[in-house]
Amino acid sequence: MNQPEPVLLDFSLLDRQIVDSQGLMVGNVDDLELAVTDQGRLQVTALLSGQQVLGDRLGGRLGRWMSAVARRLSPTPDPQPLRIPYDLVDTVGSEITLTVAKDLLAEPPLEAWLRKYLIDRIPGGRDASQ
Amino acid sequence: MKRLLAITLGILTAIGGFVDIGDLVANSETGARFGMSLAWVVVVGVIGICVYAEMSGRIGAVSHRAVFDLVRERLGPRVGLANLVGSYLVTLLTLSAEIGGVALALELASSVNYLLWVPVAAFAIWAALWRIKFETLERVFGLLGLCLVIFIIALVQLGPDWGDLGRQAASFQPTEGENWATYGFFGVSLFAAAMTPYEVFFFSSGAVEEGWTRKDLITERLNVFVGFPLGGILSLAVMGCAAVTFLPVGASVSDLGQTALPVPVALGRLGLVIVILGFFAATFGAALETGLSAGYTVAQYFGWQWGKMVPPRRAARFHTVVLVSVLLGLILLLTTIDPVQLTEYSLVFSAVVLPLTYLPILIVANDRDYLGDQVNGPFANILGVSYLIIIVVAAIAAIPLMIITGVGA
Repeated sequence: MNQPEPVLLDFSLLDRQIVDSQGLMVGNVDDLELAVTDQGRLQVTALLSGQQVLGDRLGGRLGRWMSAVARRLSPTPDPQPLRIPYDLVDTVGSEITLTVAKDLLAEPPLEAWLRKYLIDRIPGGRDASQ
Repeated sequence: MKRLLAITLGILTAIGGFVDIGDLVANSETGARFGMSLAWVVVVGVIGICVYAEMSGRIGAVSHRAVFDLVRERLGPRVGLANLVGSYLVTLLTLSAEIGGVALALELASSVNYLLWVPVAAFAIWAALWRIKFETLERVFGLLGLCLVIFIIALVQLGPDWGDLGRQAASFQPTEGENWATYGFFGVSLFAAAMTPYEVFFFSSGAVEEGWTRKDLITERLNVFVGFPLGGILSLAVMGCAAVTFLPVGASVSDLGQTALPVPVALGRLGLVIVILGFFAATFGAALETGLSAGYTVAQYFGWQWGKMVPPRRAARFHTVVLVSVLLGLILLLTTIDPVQLTEYSLVFSAVVLPLTYLPILIVANDRDYLGDQVNGPFANILGVSYLIIIVVAAIAAIPLMIITGVGA
């Protein structure tokens, strides 16, 4: 068997759009979770998505500020990033497609909060535009 | 008719770039002060936006990635964020100006002060963005915007000395009483308006909203190569009407009523009705374009679900950004700031944004991972690189010229 093509993580994975099996947008790859295998090689174990991990990755004052805003906007005191195990990745191309539907993943707290307290309270928010 | 309906996305996008509220008045003011001597800038701008809108639409159709996705992917989150802040501010200032523009058009029609119309206009724009299907918006306002064709008819009816207009267009220098600095400032403004970044945000996101695929590349090109030149011609017709009506008598133009004036002079009351309808449609359409673009840029940078292809509750963050942007635009107008001048200040932010928006489009348009066999040919690349250089020069020149001339005074 051939060696797998080397993947340039920061080029092919980081900052790409993740979409679910239906084509709905899940988030961007804001950071990656890596692990060392038994053979001593690095392996991507999960995609991480959320403004606080993006802030941590950016670093510096700007990054701290972004993480702080993300925490502030989150209804839970210690928001966890969306962690998508790499097993769920179907294809990696101009977008990263998952094998599962979005509903099976944890929903970003800001989206859930805005839906509950703002969007659902405005008439017509539930309808697809006709 | 079916053909015409297929290109309304291109027409609406071009209206936001060439004949929105700021440009309507700016084109007329340019005609009144410089005759047709800056017409060449519009031509240069039309070619430039065609080159880049075609690339962004092609990327949207083939890979389903809109422009702000690419910005972050290719420039990284840090530079992408700088672009996001600049782009958002350009778009927000323009959105605010367009809300004011809708109100000004309503003032022309009703003689009720525009400030009273501003909240009504803002609500109507938000309601349209909330409720109405993308395709309907694009068709209604793309087609109604064609009322501005009345400026072409008016120009012909005014019976100008075409040879004289041609000589002005070929002079490439300021008219008497104007200097090179103001000539340069108006030139850079016209160019920046033609290439304004929300056009590619909107056009590429619209391509995704409409579900274009590889099969729709002919439609995509038709949208670009009919829509933008049409926008450019309308903008030249507005300029020409002012050059014929105001330049000989040395009158200046500073508001929407004066911009409209040549049309009733040439065509009477019916002309006035059509031109006001055209102003309303163009500013409303541009407000929809910028309102959506504000949401698109933020949502695409962060990877949030965006778009009108899903119900608002499935894209809560996107719709919140749109709502907040309309509210901010409304608040800005209620300070009684002049809507027409607002777009001139967005030029400052354009300087940062233009190169950082068009570079990633050019890079990705050459990436086979995204486009397969639909990557740029040599011709598109030569034009793309040339325009990137022009954009950088214009971006660098914009702010000093703005300061030297006191915003073109």
